[in-house]
Amino acid sequence: MSNTPLTRRGAALAAALMSASLVLTACGSDGDDTGDKATEARGGKAAGTHSVKAENGTVEIPVDPRRIVTIGNTNLPFIDLGGKPVGVTEASESDLDVLPEEQRTAYEAAEIVGSDGGEVDLEKLAALEPDLILVQFHSNDWDKVGKKLQAIAPTVYWGLDTEWKAFADAIAEAGNVTDALSRQKAEFDEKVTKIQETYGKVIDSTSFVDVSRGDWSDPGTFYIADIGCSEIARDDIGLDLPEAAEGEDPLAYESLPFEQIGELSEYDVVTYPVDADGRPTEPFVPVVETNTWKALPAVSSGRALGVFCPGNNSYGPVIQYLDSLGSALATLPGKQ
Amino acid sequence: MTALVLRQDGPGTETVPGPPRRLLGLVVALVVLVVLLVLSVMIGSTAIGPSVVWDALFHSSAGIDQFAIRDFRLPRTVVGLVVGVALGLSGALIQALTRNPLADPGVLGVHAGASFAVTVAVGLLGVRDAQGYMWFAFAGALVVTLLVLAFGSTRQGSSPVVMVLAGVCVGAVLGGAREALQLTDPDAFDAMRNWNAGSIAGRPLEVVWPILPFLAVALVLAFAVSGPLNALALGDELAVAQGVRLVHTRVLAVIALTLLAGGATAIAGPIGFVGLMVPHVARWIVGPHQRWIFAYSVLLAPSLLLVSDILGRIVMRPGEIPVGIVTAFVGAPVLVALVRRKKSSGL
Amino acid sequence: MSMHIPRVDFGRRVLVLRRRRIAVRLQWRSVVVCAVLAVAIACTAVLALMTGSYALSPGQVLSALTGGETGIVHEVVVEWRLPRVAAALVFGAALGVSGAVFQSLMRNPLADPGIVGFSQGSYTGALIVILVVDGTYVQLVGGALLGGVATAVAVYVLAHRRGVQGFRLIVVGIGVSAMLGSLNTWLILKADLDQAMSAAAWGAGSLNGVSWTQVVVGGACIAGLLLLAGMLSRPMRQMELGDDAAASHGVRVSPARLGLILVGVALTATVTAASGPIAFISLVAPQIGRRLARTAGITLAPAAFVGALLCLASDHLAQHVAPTPLPVGVITVVLGGGYLGHLLYTEARRRL
Repeated sequence: MSNTPLTRRGAALAAALMSASLVLTACGSDGDDTGDKATEARGGKAAGTHSVKAENGTVEIPVDPRRIVTIGNTNLPFIDLGGKPVGVTEASESDLDVLPEEQRTAYEAAEIVGSDGGEVDLEKLAALEPDLILVQFHSNDWDKVGKKLQAIAPTVYWGLDTEWKAFADAIAEAGNVTDALSRQKAEFDEKVTKIQETYGKVIDSTSFVDVSRGDWSDPGTFYIADIGCSEIARDDIGLDLPEAAEGEDPLAYESLPFEQIGELSEYDVVTYPVDADGRPTEPFVPVVETNTWKALPAVSSGRALGVFCPGNNSYGPVIQYLDSLGSALATLPGKQ
Repeated sequence: MTALVLRQDGPGTETVPGPPRRLLGLVVALVVLVVLLVLSVMIGSTAIGPSVVWDALFHSSAGIDQFAIRDFRLPRTVVGLVVGVALGLSGALIQALTRNPLADPGVLGVHAGASFAVTVAVGLLGVRDAQGYMWFAFAGALVVTLLVLAFGSTRQGSSPVVMVLAGVCVGAVLGGAREALQLTDPDAFDAMRNWNAGSIAGRPLEVVWPILPFLAVALVLAFAVSGPLNALALGDELAVAQGVRLVHTRVLAVIALTLLAGGATAIAGPIGFVGLMVPHVARWIVGPHQRWIFAYSVLLAPSLLLVSDILGRIVMRPGEIPVGIVTAFVGAPVLVALVRRKKSSGL
Repeated sequence: MSMHIPRVDFGRRVLVLRRRRIAVRLQWRSVVVCAVLAVAIACTAVLALMTGSYALSPGQVLSALTGGETGIVHEVVVEWRLPRVAAALVFGAALGVSGAVFQSLMRNPLADPGIVGFSQGSYTGALIVILVVDGTYVQLVGGALLGGVATAVAVYVLAHRRGVQGFRLIVVGIGVSAMLGSLNTWLILKADLDQAMSAAAWGAGSLNGVSWTQVVVGGACIAGLLLLAGMLSRPMRQMELGDDAAASHGVRVSPARLGLILVGVALTATVTAASGPIAFISLVAPQIGRRLARTAGITLAPAAFVGALLCLASDHLAQHVAPTPLPVGVITVVLGGGYLGHLLYTEARRRL
């Protein structure tokens, strides 16, 4: 696994060194395709447009967009809805690692038009002749390049604080993948209901806390996760999870020193992040290895549950999360 | 040799305390350090009573609080002590070597080298755990310092001025390259955010042991060259006239300071200002006597680091501020005050 | 007497002529250097206009520039590439002059506006706007300017003790910068990844997304400031010889120094507001300019031309050297740092 980034970056760097010729070749190799689709797209435009509402106002977009470029956080959620973008900005390796095979293929088939952090190669993007651009990144980046994006193709922009369900709805509508969305939504509702029915009693009588650690966390610190997947557990399923006071920063923004692990003993059940195979995620391993963690009542009595959360910005990963949460709850020993 | 050193003591003696008072000061510094070591074990983001601390240190009881003391506060205090000694001594060495009271281990590209190496490890090689970073940081610091040294060497031997300039430039170039890597790789960026802050928290003692022999060797080397360095402070010609072997002294001093600064950075990440300020203050107290400056630095630097760390633990409870950030906030005003004094202490 | 006068006159004339010749020759070299630099800049600019990931023929570019194209071709050439090239030119020149002013003022080849803490201060301002206030782009620019200027003022005031001495200014600047640098690290540490990367990209200095508005407004400010710098260049050169020498030539040292610091900071501030801090050009351009023109002290015009060329070339590299475009500041740090290292190294070696 650790080799993948190396190879990918090496290849990318080589490509950069021969940028001009390679880019031209790359464009040429799927040239026929491009031509066809571009004509189709133009036909599509003629066929009809509709307007969608987003953070950048009401945008007139094609009903059936064929060449979509996704920028910033729209890339993986769009691919999750079955979308096949022609251009994407780079996603982080850690996100790609947990992507289902066919989604990863879709991501890799797309041209990379920029890195994270708002640095978008506008000319490369324009050369892809997109008929729709979907954007979610920082408003400062939008202020910088928004106008230029709109000069290339109709552009729909969402700010970083868009709620995930509304975000999924909006992407599906703009990208014309609403069928996939309704399927995912139905599955989501079904899973939520099933968990509530099966574990309703446990859920009502148990206090939970979700703890986590990221790559970015200071060494020797962890945080109480009240945003991300555990937000879904709290708001949709009804788990009793700690929440920041109204108007305050989320608890997750506060890095807690390992000393504070002891304070978790007031909760009945502790959930923590694991990977797809059920092992604690790499950043979280140091927590699990501490004696304080092992001495926690929840841990020693088998009430520490590893839950897999591949993402919380679209339905696909969230459904995987619900599956993992469901099977974790099933292992809870009965309350004495 | 001792006679030479003693003669060196001459010029400053009327303005600085004599040997008995210097020794007394050293004892006071030692007491302060011990008090801070105790405080560092006692104070933290959770309130743990003294009896529990005592219990945790001297009995093998298995309560959650006892584990917290043994697993987190004790290693953290030990790390603070080790890193502080290394930083202070490396700062004293580089200031003596370059005859520049503003020199700091960071100037020789130590931080830039370590930071770059860690970014490469994270971004290109996929290294993710702290123990892995450590060796990259150590190697990066060593390689870059040696590189700076090679740049800074002329036919006559190494020159302090060229060395510092070379350090600044290599640091800038590596910094740019690091930034390029980070901005194109969100994972590396994310992982590097905390490393760049410099912290002594959350390092298990297993991180310290492998570095410790290097630091011990460096410590011995540092005190061994303190005499010749004293003579060097008066200028190369005078030093040679007094029988100091220039190249020999410089090479040993550089080896020592590289190991010290590289080791400290490997364990804790880049921590600025300690290596700059402490020897400065030491010189202010004892005057231009390297062996005394070294001894004071060894005691004062960990004290500064521990004070900063304790401050960082309590000002934002229950969260903490990494010690590297606190030292800058404690250190910068002191630095400004120092240069605003009528006569800033030179070498 | 009558024999003597023409002889004296003759002698004087020769002397004057010689003086003039020397004067002319000195300036001549600067003029030639600037002209050569201008040609190099023009070539780089043409190259930058012609190349890009959106493939266009030279004919298309020309016709777009003369207004013969519409649609995306016009957009790419006139709205994207051209303002970017113009911005690189103008901002680079401003940074070069700003650095020249500071190096002359501090009599130190390592001086630049970063010395009075401007860069770190403006980054702190920008970070606070991005991460804490979550403000708009205009607020970001305001925050950066405010942060930079406030820091510069604080450093100046802290270093002021019966006048400002160069050494003390540098040390206080280092201290305050280090403090703000730590604060910046901590702010980035506290932010979530998207915000932190957006802030870091700004902090690296980028010309991506520069628009005509920024070029025109920034350019106007810079033009005015360059004029001021030109007017102050005489006292500046005299102050290089020492404060006392300058005072004996009738220069009012304190106001002149304050004025020069203000112009230097304002030039950098204008660039920072539009593109984020682009590092090292202000440090390197005056040095390269001085060596090319072989002048004794720092001169403004060669520094401006070198700055423009450096900025333009770096931005071109930044767009093409990596798989995804990089902020120009990342390239200038590497190029500038490397070249400065080379200069300092050879110079120091020669001196030993």
